[in-house]
Order: sequence, then C-alpha cells, then structure tokens
Amino acid sequence: MQDEERLVERAKQRDQEAFAQLYEEYFDRIYRYIVFKIGDEMEAEDMTQQVFLKALRSISSFRWKGVSFSAWLFRIAHNQVVDYLRRKAKRIAVPINESIVSGGEDPQKVTEQRADIEQVLAAAKHLTRAQREVISLRFAGDLSVAEVAKAMGRSVGAVKALQHSAVVALRKAMSY
Amino acid sequence: MGKTKEIDNILDECLERLIKGGETIEQCLVRYPEQAVELRPLLETALVTKKVSNIKPRPEFRSRARYQFQAALQETPARRGFFTFVWPAWATVVAIVLALLLSGGGTVALAADSMPDEPLYSVKIATEQVRLAFTFSEIGKADLNARFADRRVAEITAIANRAEPKDLDRATELLNKHLEKVAVLAETWVNEEEASMLRVPTPAPQLAPTSPTAPEPEPAPTPAPSPSPAAPPAPTSPPTDEKGQEDMEVAVDGQLARLRMEVERNAVRHPAALREMLETAPESAKPALRRALAITEDRYWQALEAVDGKHWGK
Repeated sequence: MQDEERLVERAKQRDQEAFAQLYEEYFDRIYRYIVFKIGDEMEAEDMTQQVFLKALRSISSFRWKGVSFSAWLFRIAHNQVVDYLRRKAKRIAVPINESIVSGGEDPQKVTEQRADIEQVLAAAKHLTRAQREVISLRFAGDLSVAEVAKAMGRSVGAVKALQHSAVVALRKAMSY
Repeated sequence: MGKTKEIDNILDECLERLIKGGETIEQCLVRYPEQAVELRPLLETALVTKKVSNIKPRPEFRSRARYQFQAALQETPARRGFFTFVWPAWATVVAIVLALLLSGGGTVALAADSMPDEPLYSVKIATEQVRLAFTFSEIGKADLNARFADRRVAEITAIANRAEPKDLDRATELLNKHLEKVAVLAETWVNEEEASMLRVPTPAPQLAPTSPTAPEPEPAPTPAPSPSPAAPPAPTSPPTDEKGQEDMEVAVDGQLARLRMEVERNAVRHPAALREMLETAPESAKPALRRALAITEDRYWQALEAVDGKHWGK
C-alpha cells in the first residue's frame, strides 16, 4: 500500500512511469468491473479507456483524505457506468464473447468458463443495486472489503452484510 | 442481530481465504463447523462468482489502449520543482490543438497521413482519441466521430488493393465504432434536449410543426406558412418567453444541422465508394470491404434516425 501511495504521489507530479505502473495494475480490474456491470465487452473497452483518461486529467486533484486510490479510480468507473446506463436505457444484453474469457488453450474450458460467467451475470440481475455494486467491486474489481467500503462510502460492516445478502441472492438465482 | 453479524464476518473471512489465500471450501468449513451447513452453499456460489475474474481484455484492445494511453501521457506536461504550474483545462486543449496543427516535423504530423498498414497509424488513431477525449460536448464528439469515419473509408479504399486483410479489418472495426458513436451520441444528446424542452412550459399559440412525426395535440385549423429553406428550423415547442433560450436553440440546431448534412452526404458517398472498390479489389480484400459496406449502409441510417429525432426542420 505504501508503494502505491508513493506511486500515486509521483503520478500526481505527472511522472509518466508511475502513472503507467498504476495503469497496468488496474487496467484489467477496471475492465472486468465494467464488463460485469454492463455486460457489453465492446462498450467496456471504450469506457475503460475513458476511465484512465479521466484519471490522468484529474489525478492532480486526488487527495488521500479517507479515500484510497483504488476507491477513487473505481468511483470514476462507477460514474462512467451510471452515465452509460442512463443513456442506454433500452440496451440489449450481449452474450459474452469467448475472446475475453481466459482459459488457456483448451476451447472446452473456455466455453465452460463463458457459460459460468454468463450464469453469474444473469444471476446478478436479481441483486439490488447496492448488492450488485459490492459483488462487482469485490469479485470483478478484486477489492478488499475495506476498499469496497471506501469506494461506496459505507461502513465495513455494511459492506459485509451486503456481501452476505448478495451471495445468498446469487445462490438463489443460480439454483433456478 | 449478533448472529447475523457473526456470519457476515465469518463469510468474509472464508472468502478472503478461499479467493486470495487459495484455501479449499473444506479447509474453511473445518474452522467453523457450527456454521458449516450455512456456509457451504454460500462458498460454492462465491467460487462460481469468482470466475468473473477470468474476464480479460482482448490482447489487441490491451495493446491499442496502452498505446493510446501512453500517447495521452506524453501529451501531459511534466511538473517541475516546488512552484508547480497547473495548466487550466482550456490551456491543455489549446496546447494539444497547437501541437496537432504546428508539429510540422513531428511524429503526429507524419502520422496524419499514415495508412492502417503503416507503423505510424497507431499514432494517428491515438491522436484522434486524444482529440475525442478533450471534446466535451456530445454533439462535438458525434461530429468528430463522423469525420473520423470519413477518414476510415478513405483509408479502406486507398489500401484495399495492397493491404493485408487484417489491416483492412482494423480500419473497418474503427469505422464501425465511429458510426456507432455518432448514432449513440446524437441520440443521447437529442433525448436530453427533448427532455429539457418538455420541462419548459409551452405557450398557447404555436407554429404548425414542420415534422410530420411531431406530436400534435389537435389538428391545425389553417395551414401555417412554411419556413424558407434558409431559415433556421422551428422547434415544436419554443420557449418564446426567453429570447436568449431561443438564440441558443438556433445555434445548437445549427450544429445539429451541420452534423446531419455531413452524415447524409457520407451515407450516400461512402457505400458508393466501397461498392466501386469491391468490383476491382483482390479476393482477399473483399470480405472486409463487404463488411465495411454493410456497416456504412446500416450505421449511417441509424445515425440519421438519431439525428432526426431532434432535427425539426428537415
């Protein structure tokens, strides 16, 4: 974490190498988070780029007061997603493309992974907005409960409770 | 309440061990035998959910995005010393525009004419992305995307006889994205404008609508004089109580009218150029050309429909 703080401070001074390291660290996680939220990998590509360009433009205004860098970055991604969903009220669900599912060279494994991911995405539609946000940040964004709490502006206890109820709801949705 | 809190904590601890620590479900359950019955199905669900971490960006997207981000990074001035000068947003935009216009001997200028099968093409695309990133209005972004789509068609027709199919595919994909953006951005902008118009109280006397699809509470008893072709399009519900609002709408309509003109012109020109190229292109280029043709035929139509949602004066 200390390393990340140093990196962020350097990035705030427009140190290109530091920003590039943060980019590499978070790129996949932000992309995954957006795919999980919108279910459209092509749109997610554009939005992921926008998140990092926005972060680049506004990194100088980032302050550590109670917010980690990951929480700040995922909040930018969250706002992008909200804007997108507001615009595309009548969006069409797109099946996940196998090209974005990692499963090594084994095509059968890739197909199975894709089926599982689609099942999760379908089940996630049954969650409340807050539950879905917790699951997106925790499982797709790979954040700890403490980081999720900061990103969502809630207490750690509240996030744990949401996580629990979300997993129960997912279980129920996947059973049908 | 205490029990619920306890299970929240236990589940979280098990998830950490399961997902990050690599423990198995059985190992987790051994720690909490009293909660095992409740925990097992939840942990099994969590393991399936964790498979979303197998979603990875496509390698070609990853490298394109990285390149574009690096280009944007390099456009960002480095800070120096204690007395750091923070550029205001407008200055950044001006700097980029100047860099684009004045870098006569620079890479950006060299890249401007590059084709998809040339090394500097990525710089050209990255430069376009930066321009889009620093264009803040949706209608402005739509306009830029329409112009970039024009470039893509020019590139496709220029290299169809010599390029590898993958280079044509690349330009075709970009063309598809640009045109999709034109439609989405125009539609979004139009919807927001219409929503804001609906919030304005409508005065009683109105001009007859110029669009046949405009909502009409009652048929007009007498036909109103049509506006001249050069006149700005008349909105269905003008907020006539505010002159400034009217002027702004006329200016905004001008932007939209220009976008429409560009889209309408290219909706004819681009498919025609691609069809002509299809007749002489080598077989290897034809699949990409056919796809590009289908894209221009579909997407321009969608873009026109999106624009016409607002364009009362058509």
